[in-house]
Amino acid sequence: MRGVGTADGAARRSADASTDPLGDPYLRTRFALPSRPATFLRRQRLVVHLNQALRTPLTLVNGSAGAGKTLLTADWAAGLRLPVAWLTVEAGDHRPGVFWAYVFESLRMCGARAADAAAAPADSSGVGRGLLTSLAAELNALDRPVVLVLDEYDRMTNPEVAEQLEFVLHHSGQGLHLVLVTRTEPLLPLHRYRAADELTEIRGAELSFTPQEAGALLRLHGLHLPEPATSALVDRTRGWAAGLRLSALAAREDTDPERYLKEFEADHSTVADFLLAEVLKGRTEETQDLLLRVSVLDRFCPDLADSLTLRTDAEPLLAGLHRENAFIERLGHSWYRLHPLFREILRAHLRERLPGAEAELHLRAARWLRRSGFLPETLAHGVAGGDFDLAAGALVDDLAIGQLFTGLRSDALTQLFAGMGSEAGSPASDLVRAAGALARRDLDHGLGRLRRAQEQLSGTEVSPGLVAARLSCTLLEALAARLTGCPPRAEQAAATAEELSQDLPDHLLDAHPELTALLLTHVGSARLWEGRFDDARAVLTRAAGAPGGSATVLPRVESMGHLALLDYLNGWLGRAERRALAAVSEADRAGLPRPPGAGLGRLVLAAVAVDRQELSRARALLDETARLPAREHDPVPTAGRALAVSRLLLDDGETHAAAEAAEPAVSVVVASPWAESHAAVVRSAACLADGRPDEAVRLLHGVCGDQPVCAVEAAGLQVAAGRPRAAAELLGAVRAEGRTGPAVSVGAALVRARMEQESGDTVTARRLVARALLDARRERLRRPFLQAGDWIEPLLATAPLRGLAEGWLLSGRPGAHGEPVRPGAEPAPLVPVELSGRERDVLRRLARMMSTEEIAADLFVSVNTVKTHLKSVYRKLAVNRRGDAVRRARDLDLL
Amino acid sequence: MRYEIRIEGHLSETLANAFPELEHVVMSGQTVLFGTVIDEAHLYGLLTRCQSLGLRVMEMRQLPE
Repeated sequence: MRGVGTADGAARRSADASTDPLGDPYLRTRFALPSRPATFLRRQRLVVHLNQALRTPLTLVNGSAGAGKTLLTADWAAGLRLPVAWLTVEAGDHRPGVFWAYVFESLRMCGARAADAAAAPADSSGVGRGLLTSLAAELNALDRPVVLVLDEYDRMTNPEVAEQLEFVLHHSGQGLHLVLVTRTEPLLPLHRYRAADELTEIRGAELSFTPQEAGALLRLHGLHLPEPATSALVDRTRGWAAGLRLSALAAREDTDPERYLKEFEADHSTVADFLLAEVLKGRTEETQDLLLRVSVLDRFCPDLADSLTLRTDAEPLLAGLHRENAFIERLGHSWYRLHPLFREILRAHLRERLPGAEAELHLRAARWLRRSGFLPETLAHGVAGGDFDLAAGALVDDLAIGQLFTGLRSDALTQLFAGMGSEAGSPASDLVRAAGALARRDLDHGLGRLRRAQEQLSGTEVSPGLVAARLSCTLLEALAARLTGCPPRAEQAAATAEELSQDLPDHLLDAHPELTALLLTHVGSARLWEGRFDDARAVLTRAAGAPGGSATVLPRVESMGHLALLDYLNGWLGRAERRALAAVSEADRAGLPRPPGAGLGRLVLAAVAVDRQELSRARALLDETARLPAREHDPVPTAGRALAVSRLLLDDGETHAAAEAAEPAVSVVVASPWAESHAAVVRSAACLADGRPDEAVRLLHGVCGDQPVCAVEAAGLQVAAGRPRAAAELLGAVRAEGRTGPAVSVGAALVRARMEQESGDTVTARRLVARALLDARRERLRRPFLQAGDWIEPLLATAPLRGLAEGWLLSGRPGAHGEPVRPGAEPAPLVPVELSGRERDVLRRLARMMSTEEIAADLFVSVNTVKTHLKSVYRKLAVNRRGDAVRRARDLDLL
Repeated sequence: MRYEIRIEGHLSETLANAFPELEHVVMSGQTVLFGTVIDEAHLYGLLTRCQSLGLRVMEMRQLPE
């Protein structure tokens, strides 16, 4: 035995050697073209018909179980000169993310996609349109089309996947031929394909054997029957391939095959049921036992089969069964599977012959699979056997607990463990329960379970076998610390994790990059909450650069969002924006259906937009994140949201609402200096705007001196409240460290300028405003100028300053008298703007931040058409950038 | 709701056990499975089960209560 089948470490090694995104050699058998047995009969009329598949985008091979669909298609596909991607669909594939990950992998394995093609789904629950669009574009650009065969497509019950397949097929042009092998009609608009002559269809009637074909098939099985006997058999079985094969096998064992078949004809039993029982009867006791037992498995190799029979004879028995094509198909690498039809019937026999054995067989399989390093299958069989402690133990020991939070398996794992009852009492089971609760932000249950697991673990002696469980514990501790806003607890978890990982073999940690990435993200989030920006940056940067592709997308995107917020809080607008955009596009590229971390990236973009006074954009971004499930009890994003929302409300003049929104609605153990300072500044500004300067000043006591951006804004409020000395004190305390950005220097310069202006030194004031303008221009930081009050207007109206402000802060229109103009409120065009319906369609999608390619795909037009529409939209709106187009259109009520 | 499903051929006891929630009776070249069906999902599940066992469904109808 080679490669995948061995029970020693070879399986693990071969997994490391490949770039399999699902990291699982077991799965490779699902991409294997089933081999044809020696008794396979090639039927030319079907091959000729199937060849038409190369002229149509869609092909359907449709027939009942055992009609010979799979072998027909596999035989045809093996003879093609085109790359063929083969995927056997399984019941667990109904989540779009999982299904597409397999499709991407099958395309990669047949060479239709480059091995390093970056994009691949990373979230099991859904796939973004962008990812499918880029796949379609990739297929469209292929020199030679690829044939994608989805076998047993009837197991795909999710209509969303059918829609997505339809979408990719539609946009792949000549690059893709899709062949669906299925028992039931797929949920695709077949009538449309039929009407356009774009469908090749082979249905049940055509798959039925003619008497001539049946005769040839029986001869391959060594049976030579006269023509009338063959015809009668075809009548009895209705030309059903499985029925014919079974009758040949059953008859061959009888001394008088012809008479046997005559009796079968006269009999009224259901065909497969009766014949299978007959064929089974003819096997040895060992073979029967083997067949019954492996019916609990999807796929098996001899060693795994032996572990179910507790014998050692599976290898020759399986080879023999495959040779005579009785029941099993070979998948290569000495892996087999039962024919799906026979497997179902055999299971019925198993339940009767060995009542109550099923659970035990599942557990034996689970133990073998665990030894061999096949984690997902271990879990499935462990749970099927009713032993949740075994399953949870396997998950925890493998350090795979992070997979409950991130990656393609998270949904499936969560669902798998959802049925766990109270009888599962191991620490690992409690850890899995805690992880599940924390993942859905159910803090009460999560923290309780976690405490229970810790108590159990600390009660036992320190042993090497428990290192994985303890390390899993620290991950959950760090998450609990982050969600409850308790930084010391996070530090404790980080230190313990560091210590424990010394005792673990490297390869185990390397195999699960998501564990480390998640841990670093949680610790970074807690440090950021505490205001330890440099320490937070150190760990978040590591998490953002974590290896592991789709497994670590979630922590990567989350930590990039946190880093963006960090830059924003330090006053670096441009940097914050770039990072936040990187986070958003990374999430899109991975096809994440909803932004992780409560959309922190978008929240930072909204905060940046407020500082740039692009208020409609800020509003749109906040609306997007508001639609996210409101289950997030996560301090940092909640505070980020409070910050952006309250500042926006303030600038909209909604002082009361702003003051209310300023306080993040989250209960925490330790308060956050920046979250409190920002809230205090907004509430103070609201008071001042309402004409209550004394209360405004009082509220400013809550501003922490360590937060330069807030301190500078507080100083501005002090001056406005008529307390220049307090302002000067605040400014003096702002440490001019290298870490603060333009938002701080601009704000400070403006506060000083106002003080100089009010004390009569206009020259110095002008010099300071000029410096602020220069610093702010690069960042398009408009808020400090536009919300500064009346004092700045006369200054900006004078010649040198006006030149610095024109174009980005003030409009360049002659005769505007230096009046500050909000961008977006530009004078209305002289001619009324009329957009065509299509232009409006494009513009609406533009406003949803869709890319040109996505808009093209969504509207079923080419990219060039979209570009043409865009150009004319720009011309009509007199803008030359998409952001400006959307803003202008909003201001003109065109959206 | 109660349903009956008529299947072509005589079903063996072994295979009839694959429908533990239904009763069955064998008559004139057919097997009739009958009993209470919980909901539509169950109904479609029964059809799928018939299909996966290679059974040919001749007729399926709701019975009066």
